[in-house]
Amino acid sequence: MIEYDEQQRRMVLKLVYYGPALSGKTSNLLQLHEQLAKEGRGDLMVLDTTNDRTIFFDLLPFFLTTPSGLKIKVKVYTVPGQVRHDATRKAVLQRADGVAFIADSQRTETANNANSFASLEDNLAMVGLNIDALPLVIQFNKRDLADIVPEEDIRKTWEVAGFPVVMASALQGWGVVETFTKLVELLYDRIESRYRLSDEHGLAKADFVRHLTLVTAD
Amino acid sequence: MQDDALSYVVGEEKGLCELLLDSEVQPLLEGMLAAGATSAAITDQDGDELWVARDPARLGKEIVSLPIRLEGEPVGALRIGGPDETAQTLTCIARLLGVAIDTLLRNNLKRILTTEIHTAVVNTSFDELVEINRQLTESETRYRQLAESLEQKVKERSAELKKALVHLLQQEKMAAVGQLAAGIAHEINNPLGFVTSNLHTLQKYVSRLITMVEYQKTLFGVRMDDEARMQHADHKWQELKINSIMTDVGDLLHESLNGAERVTRIVADLKGFSHVDEIGAVPVDINAELERTLSVLTHELGTHTTIDREFQPLPPFPCKPAILGQVFLNIIMNAVQAKPSDLELTLSTAWDGERIRISIADNGPGIPHDVRAKIFEPFFTTRQVGSGTGMGLAVVYDSVLKLGGMVAVTDSAAGGADFIITIPLERD
Repeated sequence: MIEYDEQQRRMVLKLVYYGPALSGKTSNLLQLHEQLAKEGRGDLMVLDTTNDRTIFFDLLPFFLTTPSGLKIKVKVYTVPGQVRHDATRKAVLQRADGVAFIADSQRTETANNANSFASLEDNLAMVGLNIDALPLVIQFNKRDLADIVPEEDIRKTWEVAGFPVVMASALQGWGVVETFTKLVELLYDRIESRYRLSDEHGLAKADFVRHLTLVTAD
Repeated sequence: MQDDALSYVVGEEKGLCELLLDSEVQPLLEGMLAAGATSAAITDQDGDELWVARDPARLGKEIVSLPIRLEGEPVGALRIGGPDETAQTLTCIARLLGVAIDTLLRNNLKRILTTEIHTAVVNTSFDELVEINRQLTESETRYRQLAESLEQKVKERSAELKKALVHLLQQEKMAAVGQLAAGIAHEINNPLGFVTSNLHTLQKYVSRLITMVEYQKTLFGVRMDDEARMQHADHKWQELKINSIMTDVGDLLHESLNGAERVTRIVADLKGFSHVDEIGAVPVDINAELERTLSVLTHELGTHTTIDREFQPLPPFPCKPAILGQVFLNIIMNAVQAKPSDLELTLSTAWDGERIRISIADNGPGIPHDVRAKIFEPFFTTRQVGSGTGMGLAVVYDSVLKLGGMVAVTDSAAGGADFIITIPLERD
């Protein structure tokens, strides 16, 4: 949690899209920005890239007020994927409340996926976050490409750890909102017990999730 | 992180006042007045004015209030006041202004965020580098200390090893001397053995001859006729077997004298080999030294040893003869140990006017190419533990070097080893 100010009645939560370079983290946020209703959220902020590579981070902010008057802000970040930007990734991961791990489904990227996940584990430990308690969703992106790892193999490898796995193609626009929804659900569960969102603030899980994942009517 | 470094969390909320500068906002609000508004203000969510521009001379009421959003969340409002007549125009201009402020907010936010994260990353990287540098410096100091103490340790070790080496050489010499002594003792015991045995026999013979001579003397003193005397003498002669004694005695004496002579020679050879009387360098006949070494090693040479000598006349070589003797002894003993029976040794010497060349070749198994460089190294041995300290050829190498020459090993004609010693010798 970035911030919880009882006096100001404000709670700021952070979700981070993590993964190897070019796996589609920024593309995911671009799709969310396209597909989700404009109410209750800001525009996607893409920070200074050179030739489409993320150097700093991307930010998609959401905003809602509970019936009790508590202002909840959910900030969704991506991190740069290139190995050299590890310091930036650590800075962005600080105080995160949930992570979506975006993996590249291509066979050739198997090692990169593994290395990136390992770096996620290391960096979470380094910024004092417990990977076992943190809401985590795994997305295997780029299902539209040719030489990809079959779904059963992916689920066999990655579901054993107990994380939900979602298939997606950010390019074609599917699986993106599904991933985000899953993450938001896990986020609510995590926060609810401590902050009594339902009892004290009148915010039920369904409301929370619906507000953040409302899709624009075409 | 150092105390004075900027430290922040990615995602910290920023207020309007952090994101807009007076110098950016005021001109915009003033511009609104110039366009005909009576008041232009930016307020926060509670309605408090953060920036305002007012025309004190004119009156107007609030025409429009546009929400200002930051990251999607309303954080304030742009309130424009003016006369009714121009309300529509002012509203349009106000919307323009709203877009301008929104653009300002976005850009400033972007700039601040990039600066902040850039600073955070630089600080972290710098801190990491400082730490790495500290660790490397520590490491380097440790290594330097280690290197220094290592040098000292090496010096100490070398001194220890030198002492041990000297001790070992001494022991090896003693062992060699002991072995030699044992061989020579055997050589001497052999002739002494039969000389003693012969003397015992001669003792018996002499006693019988004395008995005969005394009997004859007694016979001379008694009165009897010649024939009777002859008979008595003859009888005694037969009884004491004087005939066989007389045949035997010559051989026994001859054999014993030979034996004694042999012992004398062995002792002389040994004395000569040990050069006990000589201390400094003397002109040495190398061929003679080789012969001496061979004779001293007679006992060691084993069964069926053949020695071929191809000695050419050599000029006398000034050196300590004991050293040469040791060199030849070690090389020949090497050959003997390589081929204990049916050994064929070929010793040849030559002088070409510049160098003396000595070759000791055997018909043993030879020396494999991969160890040829190592055999002259101290402690190198291909023998079992306890049967050789590996110093023999090292001593040879060292000694030949001291004599100003070189020793090398190559294949002999018979497939064994051929040790070749070359010593330069300037002849006036």
